Amino acid sequence: MQTLKYLSIFAAAILLNSCLKTDFDEFETTTGSANFSKFVSVGDSYTQGLQDGGLHNEYGQQENSFPAIIAKQMGTPFVQPLVSGTGSGYMHLAYRNEKIEVIKAYNDDITDNDPEAIHYDPSYNYWADTTVTYNNLGVGGLNVRNVVSKNLTQALEYHTYLGTTHVSQGVLAWNGVGGQPISSYGRFLNFGNINNRIEYIDHVKSSNATFFTNWLGVNDAMSWAKSGGDAVSGSSEQTNPIEFREKYDTILAAFQKMGAQGVCANIHDFTKSPLFTTVTLEKVKKDIWIKEGADTTIIRKAVPEDLILLSASSLIAKGDGLTQANPLPHQQVLDKDEVIIARNHIQQLNAQIYAAAAAYGYPVVDMYAFMEKLNAGVTYDGIALTAVFIEGGAYSLDGLHTNSRGNALIANEFINVINASFGSTLRPAIVGNYRGITFP
Amino acid sequence: MKRIIIATLALTPVFTFAGGFQLNLQGIKGVGMGGAFTGLGSDASTVFFNPAGMNNLLGHNFTAGINYVTPSVSLQTPETANINQTSPNATPFHFYYSGELNEKMKFGFLVNNQFGSTSSFDDDWQGRYIIQNISLKTFMFQPTMSYKIHDKLFVGGGFVYTYGSFSTEKAVPVGSASTTEGKATLSGSGDGVGYNIGLFSNIYSLKKETSTTDFRLGVSYRSQIAVDLPNGEVKFTDIPVSLQEKFPATTTFVSKITLPSVFTAGLSVKHTKGNYSLEFAYDFNYTAWSSYDTLNFDFANNDTPDSKTTKDWQNAITHRFGLDFTYKQKYSAKIGAYYDNSPVKEGYLSPELPDMTQLAYTAGLGYKINETISIDFSYIRQSAERESSLDAANFTAKYNRKVNVYGIGVNINFSCKAKEATPTAN
Repeated sequence: MQTLKYLSIFAAAILLNSCLKTDFDEFETTTGSANFSKFVSVGDSYTQGLQDGGLHNEYGQQENSFPAIIAKQMGTPFVQPLVSGTGSGYMHLAYRNEKIEVIKAYNDDITDNDPEAIHYDPSYNYWADTTVTYNNLGVGGLNVRNVVSKNLTQALEYHTYLGTTHVSQGVLAWNGVGGQPISSYGRFLNFGNINNRIEYIDHVKSSNATFFTNWLGVNDAMSWAKSGGDAVSGSSEQTNPIEFREKYDTILAAFQKMGAQGVCANIHDFTKSPLFTTVTLEKVKKDIWIKEGADTTIIRKAVPEDLILLSASSLIAKGDGLTQANPLPHQQVLDKDEVIIARNHIQQLNAQIYAAAAAYGYPVVDMYAFMEKLNAGVTYDGIALTAVFIEGGAYSLDGLHTNSRGNALIANEFINVINASFGSTLRPAIVGNYRGITFP
Repeated sequence: MKRIIIATLALTPVFTFAGGFQLNLQGIKGVGMGGAFTGLGSDASTVFFNPAGMNNLLGHNFTAGINYVTPSVSLQTPETANINQTSPNATPFHFYYSGELNEKMKFGFLVNNQFGSTSSFDDDWQGRYIIQNISLKTFMFQPTMSYKIHDKLFVGGGFVYTYGSFSTEKAVPVGSASTTEGKATLSGSGDGVGYNIGLFSNIYSLKKETSTTDFRLGVSYRSQIAVDLPNGEVKFTDIPVSLQEKFPATTTFVSKITLPSVFTAGLSVKHTKGNYSLEFAYDFNYTAWSSYDTLNFDFANNDTPDSKTTKDWQNAITHRFGLDFTYKQKYSAKIGAYYDNSPVKEGYLSPELPDMTQLAYTAGLGYKINETISIDFSYIRQSAERESSLDAANFTAKYNRKVNVYGIGVNINFSCKAKEATPTAN
């Protein structure tokens, strides 16, 4: 009897104590002093969600642009001009003869496309409804200098560059290029017509943003560098810092006028991206002959400080650049002097970004420092990411743009700055839940 | 006696308990008393706690017990509000035998699970590239002898053979068109040897007209045991075709898990008066966890990158306290506590084993059915929180862990002759 009594006391004690609930409470996400109800992003291809040298969305690549990931963490709607099918066409990997090969996107201008090259989707010609108001205003290739034209010459040039409505849609392109803009990535915006042109800045002004991210400026420095560092052969020139500042100010002034809060981001050192760092003398293990520039006749052996572009690898495979008689074309090499010019230009433009942001009271996300860190190698929840082409896992196949996993890292960096600046408690995204490289 | 109680109560809140992957559940009586048993030697579990303690036991003694461990572990990361481990409940057991060879020599044997750990998570959890699940099981077999050097001093020792099995799973961050990640499943088993030695002393007995007070001391040392996993097997699944040379469907690995040495010094004081007795026990453990410095897997396939994880655990001290109150040598109630210092340094806390420094409480009940058989119940309550990072993986989390452990044990004693009842028999 006494045993029973002891046992029952013992059992009662166990029951009392047996609570095993260990769950943590749900997060309470607060906005601090910010208002995320209308979140708008301006920027270039990095903002638009371009990967693998194109806009495509078969595994949510465009859908997971870095501002879209931020918007998801904010819990705010974020409309993007999503492509369908194969989008603009894009690079992908194939496994052939026990080797992983990069297959370039289908190019209408050449005849020797790879049989597996991915062509742009027929729907891409009219891929987005230009009457919709989009939250993601990122346009691939957009420079700060393109956002507003100072004169008709600039207007013609920029609208040609950015694209306009299509001949096939019954509206004659006012720029006179017959509806084939150099950049097709702006087709989701209405740029008006010759008599009533709409500039990029007008889309910013009418965005009614309460909060914005502005990561423009990369192309102002990068377009020149990624075509081997010269403006002579038709690639973009480096934007003059003074013009850059003027136009950067117009963007921030537009946001300030509508009472929006937001963050700017500076320009990272893209010369440390795989596009510039994959083809090295160390890996080629041969002498490479290069032509220094369009306006020089200097042909010399490459030195380690010369950055040979990723696209040169197929040329080298064909035997180009291996003899003095057949050097790599200057567009395929950012030579050692041009590297210094490019890096100095980044610093000059970044000084302007910091000055402009300070003048308008907007914080700056230090993408320069962040990408230096990423390029050196980071680990996140046990996933190691580096700037090594393909196996590094953070960059897409074009060697410049991050893949969805890299976008999540970038989004988290923006979120850190937003939280620190506005007292919000946005949660970082789970990097491992976003796709890295898609292997064959 | 009063003074002892006050001293105990004053001390216990200062100390706490943790334990790496050591299972301090090796005797139901001991568990009820905070795990302090090295200076007690009152049942056959002394074969484990202190081999020399066997000289306290008469006749043939069998002790068997099983624990039912119900862990509940939740995590919070900067990204995810709540993640619950899906770890299964565990049932480590023990079996001990101690028998008389002659008046001076005893022989004993044990089978138990001295180390073990199981953690599992949902397949899609945030830290799946660090760990999806892990399981370590060990079985120890220990033939043991003890010898009475002097009426008050015994010495004992045993040879320990260990069989261990290990398995773990984690995600591999490579995706294809149809998969977002691959998976690595490692499993292996192996064995190792060690020893367990002890000294025991019934150092002093204070006999008064109406009461007796016995003082006992014990010291034991269980050696480090290296369990080699010479033929581990790894399976890679959901790997893109182009990476299957690097991550083949199957390959083998070699690894080694080193179980730490444990030094323990314990004492007990038992005061008997009439039908009542009160016993206090204290154990001091020093576990040399620094032996768990790395966990490496060397894969036979040359293209598979070897896995090296730095654990860098540190040696840890545990204080154990227990009180037993027995009535008529038949009914007993126990309470205890232990303060366990975690061997896991800041910056090394992995979700596979979120160890934490903590104070845990224990309780126990005993009932002696007759001269031959008695049963014991025990209970442990652990509840602790810790926030730390696994720097190598850049993973930070808050951990909240609660564990209930229920134990039941039985003691069977066959004394060949009805000798004078020893004061140690409980």
